[in-house]
Amino acid sequence: MTDTISFSQEVSNLLYAAEGEPIKTCIQCGTCSGTCPVAGYMDYTPRQIIAMINQGMKEQVLESNTFWYCASCYHCTVRCPQDINITELMYALKRYSIWKGQHKEGLIGPTFSEAFVKMIVRGGRSFEPILAPSYIFSFGLRELLQEVTNATELLLKGRLPILPARIKRLDNFKRIIGRIIPMGGLE
Amino acid sequence: MTKKLLMIDDDPDFVAGIKAILDNAGFEVEVAYNPKEGLHALQTKQYDLLLLDIMMGRGAEGIMIARKLRKDVKLREMPVLIITGMREQIAFLFPGEPIHPRFVEVDELVEKPVEPKMLIEKVNSLILTAETKKAGKK
Ligand code: SF4
Ligand code: SF4
Repeated sequence: MTDTISFSQEVSNLLYAAEGEPIKTCIQCGTCSGTCPVAGYMDYTPRQIIAMINQGMKEQVLESNTFWYCASCYHCTVRCPQDINITELMYALKRYSIWKGQHKEGLIGPTFSEAFVKMIVRGGRSFEPILAPSYIFSFGLRELLQEVTNATELLLKGRLPILPARIKRLDNFKRIIGRIIPMGGLE
Repeated sequence: MTKKLLMIDDDPDFVAGIKAILDNAGFEVEVAYNPKEGLHALQTKQYDLLLLDIMMGRGAEGIMIARKLRKDVKLREMPVLIITGMREQIAFLFPGEPIHPRFVEVDELVEKPVEPKMLIEKVNSLILTAETKKAGKK
């Protein structure tokens, strides 16, 4: 129990069953970045993000799009010679930035997560026709039209439901959530 | 006798503030920055009260600790003050009022940020209630 902790310890504490500080063992080999299918679109590659966390560059890390762009493909994690669970790290950074209310403007990730969780809590399951518009309005007209075209095609082919399906015993489901988390406002 | 408190919270800035307030008020405060360390401390040492955060690790891991306490014959007599910022952290999910948690016999929930005077009052009254309950049982 130390006096206070560094940013890399904070991040390590968010990882599942963190033993020590796995991120600290990174040897900067770049295998993760080389294998990442979205590295080209990220502000910083996975390798760079890890170096930045270890340097305590909190603001720059949180301001980046890197972890929101992670597609959770797990390629990096499988190939890391140090057995660092980089994908889990990307999830940890998402939690961290949502909990701190600190993330880059204009990203789909945070808005989408919010819409998704709200929907699950209200209806007990995911329903794409509501999910899509609730985040897509924050973005451009072209993207919206593209989504509508896709959705219409899916509807015509019977691949998208027209009405949201509710799970059985929705009240029970809500009560369960209420028991896990002692907060009101679950209506 | 000096009362010994354990604080389990992953936010170093918040911990520093709360610890300073409680140190000043004459409490002995130990800190664990993750649920695992916290649970270990609870199982190996004795405390008069637990200050518990909710959103840690992979999610609401503070709740998992509270549930473990409830199942432990000895630990469930310890008072717990849940201090959480979760409504602000994931406000889109919880617009309402917090509900009294009732995880253990003596517990309460307050929300971050915490006012120093209120914090000390709550800590004192929870410890007192727990002690009275314990004395009554004997
Ligand atoms: S593959 Fe592993 S060791 Fe190599 S840079 Fe990435 S995280 Fe570090
Ligand atoms: S899990 Fe994320 S960071 Fe790792 S390779 Fe896939 S997209 Fe890149």
